[in-house]
Amino acid sequence: MKHEPGMAYKSSTLHKVFAFLSILLLFCTLGMFLDDYIRPWKGWQIKALAVKEEKLKKDIEEKLGTIDKEKLAQVEAQIVEGTKIAAERETEINVIAGKLNEVKAKIHAKKLELSVYNGQVSELTFNWEMAVEKKKPGTDKMKAKLDKNRALYAKTNNEIKSLEGEAKVLRNEIEDKKKILIQGEKAKKRMIGQVELMKQALAKTNTTNPVWIIRNLPFLDFLDPTVKVEQVVLDNYVDDRYFQKVPKVDRCQTCHVFIDKPGYEDQEQPFKTHSNLALMVSRDSPHPKAQFGCTSCHGGEGHRINDFTSIAHTPQNQEQAKEWAAKYNWHEPHKIPQPMLPLQHTEASCYKCHSGVEVIPAADDYNKGKQLVTDYGCYACHVMPGMQEKKKAGPSLKRLAAKLDKNWVKNWIWDPFGFNPHSRMPSFFQQSNNSKPEFMKKNIAEVNAMGEFLFDKNDDSYRVEYRYAGGDTENGKELISSVGCIACHQVEGIESSIKVGSMKGPYLTGTGSKVDKNWLVQWLKKPNHYQADTIMPSFRLTDKEANDMAAYLMSLKNETFEAKRFTNLDKDLRDEILLEYFVAFDTIAAAKKKLERMSDYERTMELGKRSIGKYGCYSCHSIEGFKDDRAPIGPNLAKEGSKPVHQFGFGHEKDVPHTRHDWIEAHLGNPRRWDRGTDKPFKDLTRMPQFYLKDDEIQAMTTYVLGFVDEKIPERGMHKLSPEEKIAEKGFKAIAKYNCAGCHKIDGYGGDILAAYEDDNNEGPPWLVNEGHRIQADWLHHFLQNVHPLRPWLAVRMPSFHYDNNEEINEIVEYFRNKSGELAFDPPPIRVEWEPGERKAALALFEDYACATCHTTGFNNDEAAAPNLYFAKRRLRSSWIKKWLAGPAEILPYTVMPNFWEDGEAQNQDILGGDSDKQIEALTKYLMEIGYSEFHGKMNKSARNR
Amino acid sequence: MKDFVNLIADPKYSFTLVIIGFFIFMKYYYVVGTKKFLYWSTAITLVVFGWMCTDPNFFAIITWPDNVPIVILLALVFYLTWFAIYQATENDKRLDEGLPPNEGTPENKEKVWVWPNLVYTELMAMIVFTALLIIWSIFLKAPLEEPANPTWAPNPAKAPWYFLGLQEMLVYFDPWMAGVVLPVLIIVGLIAIPFIDTNPEGNGFYSFKRRKFAMAGFLFGWLVLWVYLIIIGTFLRGPNWTFYGPFEYWDHHKVVAESNVNLSEFFWIKGLGTAMPGSIIIREIVGIIVVSAYFGLTTFIFNKTEMGRNLFRSLGKARYYILIGLILFMGLLPVKMYLRWLFDLKYLIAMPEFEFNL
Repeated sequence: MKHEPGMAYKSSTLHKVFAFLSILLLFCTLGMFLDDYIRPWKGWQIKALAVKEEKLKKDIEEKLGTIDKEKLAQVEAQIVEGTKIAAERETEINVIAGKLNEVKAKIHAKKLELSVYNGQVSELTFNWEMAVEKKKPGTDKMKAKLDKNRALYAKTNNEIKSLEGEAKVLRNEIEDKKKILIQGEKAKKRMIGQVELMKQALAKTNTTNPVWIIRNLPFLDFLDPTVKVEQVVLDNYVDDRYFQKVPKVDRCQTCHVFIDKPGYEDQEQPFKTHSNLALMVSRDSPHPKAQFGCTSCHGGEGHRINDFTSIAHTPQNQEQAKEWAAKYNWHEPHKIPQPMLPLQHTEASCYKCHSGVEVIPAADDYNKGKQLVTDYGCYACHVMPGMQEKKKAGPSLKRLAAKLDKNWVKNWIWDPFGFNPHSRMPSFFQQSNNSKPEFMKKNIAEVNAMGEFLFDKNDDSYRVEYRYAGGDTENGKELISSVGCIACHQVEGIESSIKVGSMKGPYLTGTGSKVDKNWLVQWLKKPNHYQADTIMPSFRLTDKEANDMAAYLMSLKNETFEAKRFTNLDKDLRDEILLEYFVAFDTIAAAKKKLERMSDYERTMELGKRSIGKYGCYSCHSIEGFKDDRAPIGPNLAKEGSKPVHQFGFGHEKDVPHTRHDWIEAHLGNPRRWDRGTDKPFKDLTRMPQFYLKDDEIQAMTTYVLGFVDEKIPERGMHKLSPEEKIAEKGFKAIAKYNCAGCHKIDGYGGDILAAYEDDNNEGPPWLVNEGHRIQADWLHHFLQNVHPLRPWLAVRMPSFHYDNNEEINEIVEYFRNKSGELAFDPPPIRVEWEPGERKAALALFEDYACATCHTTGFNNDEAAAPNLYFAKRRLRSSWIKKWLAGPAEILPYTVMPNFWEDGEAQNQDILGGDSDKQIEALTKYLMEIGYSEFHGKMNKSARNR
Repeated sequence: MKDFVNLIADPKYSFTLVIIGFFIFMKYYYVVGTKKFLYWSTAITLVVFGWMCTDPNFFAIITWPDNVPIVILLALVFYLTWFAIYQATENDKRLDEGLPPNEGTPENKEKVWVWPNLVYTELMAMIVFTALLIIWSIFLKAPLEEPANPTWAPNPAKAPWYFLGLQEMLVYFDPWMAGVVLPVLIIVGLIAIPFIDTNPEGNGFYSFKRRKFAMAGFLFGWLVLWVYLIIIGTFLRGPNWTFYGPFEYWDHHKVVAESNVNLSEFFWIKGLGTAMPGSIIIREIVGIIVVSAYFGLTTFIFNKTEMGRNLFRSLGKARYYILIGLILFMGLLPVKMYLRWLFDLKYLIAMPEFEFNL
């Protein structure tokens, strides 16, 4: 086709194509705007408005329901009447109002005048001061002008004040005339003002309001949108962006709209209120949102709001992952160093700021995990921050021949759970990666060698001092369930011990098939004779008591285990394993030669020692031949919570999701699983043993381990302990070590054994409530080393611990003292100063309130049902005695001590005029007077005279 | 079938197949240069591609946002190559019949105005591209990743797509060669083409028959040594730059046993059973001889052939030797690839002391 000259195409066609393309570009550009405008978070915010609307409507309805309708009608009638009266007086009011307006105009004029004078005075002052400074002539004239202006200023100011006074009078006159109306309106506002405010809020949730629409229109929404990103920028917490640290920015609240607003607890996410507002998020909680943000605890990428996945939301489990995938197109985020912690592990984050404390208040899962890690002794093989000072998790094996029999030891190493299903000694053998017959045979050789080695290294000079003389099994059982053993030990057959469920000491079922009976008596009588650093305390048992208990424990047999004979050592296999060790650093010929030079005994010892090193037995047990400071066998976990996911070996375990917590949980469930599908030689098999943990234990321990993050929290973001708290924390370590809280409920913490005294806590170990205020520090120090019965009615005994040193005792004392914020010494007055007649009154009160009915010791020969009052002087602080007398149940809810001053009103109104304070003071003085002046034993003179 | 494709996709085999295919293409270019060929080949390609897309691993690789533009570019390479050959075939037919080439017909020689014919259409092209880019960016989000983390490098770490051929060359050459010398020679060679190519045939029109050497030489370098290597580098190199078949899952733990040996080690240790000489020159003497022979002997033999003599005559001394040099350097790549695959040869000349390895 021929076109016009000089043209390759037809012009009109070109124009048409151009027009079409231009329109296309226009639509594309609009599409781009729209794509930029439509954000998922906006959808959530608009949905949130609907949620808010619904709630406000409900609230308004509720509020209206509470308003007294009759009263409202009355008030409204009053308003109608008031309006009528005001209308009648309209002309009068108008006259006054006219006057008021005139006065107001005058005030306005004067104020303008005043501002002129004010400016002039300032200017003149400056000029005059400068002139004086520079010694210019004519300062006098200037001063005169200044003074004149000042006077004018003062005069005008005064005039304004008097005019304002006039205005006030006029206003009052008007108000007086409209009194009924104004009062009615005020009353109405009081009644329904809140509802009005709520209605105003409700109006803001209306998305069809034109103002709302205009404010949120595309492009216009840069001005003042209502749908917008909500964020907090933290100045005390930074995000590590590798090349620089930037302040943390959390925009979570953009979608989690009501996170800090109570009343939305029942909403679906993201509209739910935070589950613990008292502790987190809310402004008056210890962790307000503005200071802590969200991701400093929860993890994840809080600054992102583009979609659900990019924030690195982490599901709690596979079901939730599937649900999220369907609902939000969620998939596992990649390369995010700290994705959100799944809900069940959130408490891991507490550690990074609260690392200095033994127990983090309110972090129950975390504390449980830490307790389990302590109980199972994980810290013995793995370096964990804050655990370095703990003693070895297992008993010393340096004198084991006195306690155990070699065959038992080998069987125990081979299969601890076969003897005791509650064993804390983990299982190394017969696991998923070493159950092949050839491995089992080699393992048996290793166990044999280890047993031989341990008995060879035994300290044969150790002899027990006691002999088992037989005893009363029934009485022994009774003693075990009553003196306090069950705070640490469990044994089948003693119900209460299972109820307490402590894991601190070994499970005692089967003891009779395990230990030597003479050793047992020795152990019960004096535990530190066998192992100096044991935490097992002495209960100051008599020989008979010890024998009775031993009789009971020896009757607990595990016959199937006892009957097992461990397979004999296969010497060929032993040599084969040894060769494997030797060839690591030698040629085969040299290794063989080395082996040939060794005697049969030496070979067994060599394998025993190497096997103990290989399995890391020395980490938990003191063993002769292994230094105490030998490096622990497991990997360091100090930064486990930040270890990149790709550094975890998932092996061929395809069903374990690739996250940090899933790996740790899978690992704790079966540490050997990673060997599945591989062909490792015997020496390279994974050695982490199997603890047969329960699911809840795994979860809590994972939470604990995840807490070890490699994050530098800025100083000001950290929780700092006060000097007192620091001292208390140190003491708490000792308290945790000796399991004080196994018996005592210390300010609400612990008291495990009380589960056995559910019906009556008064029969169990006493609660220690604000103990530092109750007892005198030096008394406690003395008491811990010289335990003597304080509560004669108790069967349970305060044990005598063998503390490592005096320092430890001091730490315990200081713990209580610093926690209560008390002075170290609070000496009672040496001489009690009596007011006239006060002593007589005290004696009368003592009689009248019949104190000696329960506190019998030293007063009569009845059985004591309350502590010896003679101890009070050196034991208790007098301020505490007063507090106790004024309200015993407020300190110990279970106490049987009656309150004679209920609600501050004395029961006896005759003595000291019925003044409660005076009565309490008098009795306290009396206790101070009669008490022993030594910690226990010696009587005070005046008491002796009685 | 998929396993078979996975196997032959390995450059060890596919490179040879591609070279064979290239020569068939050159020989029967007039078959390729027909519309029928385009339709059939497109239909077959689409069917095969559709079948390949049913595999999740293949689909994941080609739909990776980084790779989508490369897939589009490959389709364009396919079409534009065909289009050039088609034009050339048409022209060759016309020339054989004594007619002027298509570009030389009177109506095609007519001159038109730059405005609006060129400028207007360029504006439209710009609009189309802007609109396309907008649509693309809306529907395929930019593949932005996490902030760079020095302790966590991406694996595979890949260059931009246009450098992936060079990155693939790193497998066979010292970084200094693959990263500096050869790219410089490529650029120098491309700049030199108009100065070397003195053939007046084909000026202003497409033709294959009349400039076989130029067409074949360039297309070999472009399609086989550049585009093919980009395809390998983009789609078939996974974590650790290990080869993965198109239907293979990119398992980060895949291990390939490769242990390469230098020519000097072949000669002294394996061949003569003696220790390596201390002198670097003596140590590498075999390599030096072989490389010299590659450049010297090949040139010498080529000079003796009729084609060589013709070229020498038409180009003159300087142009001729520069051309031969460039082609021999281009040839180094396939030669080295084959030596690697056949003998596990690491370097012909290995002088790490001077950072010189070839």
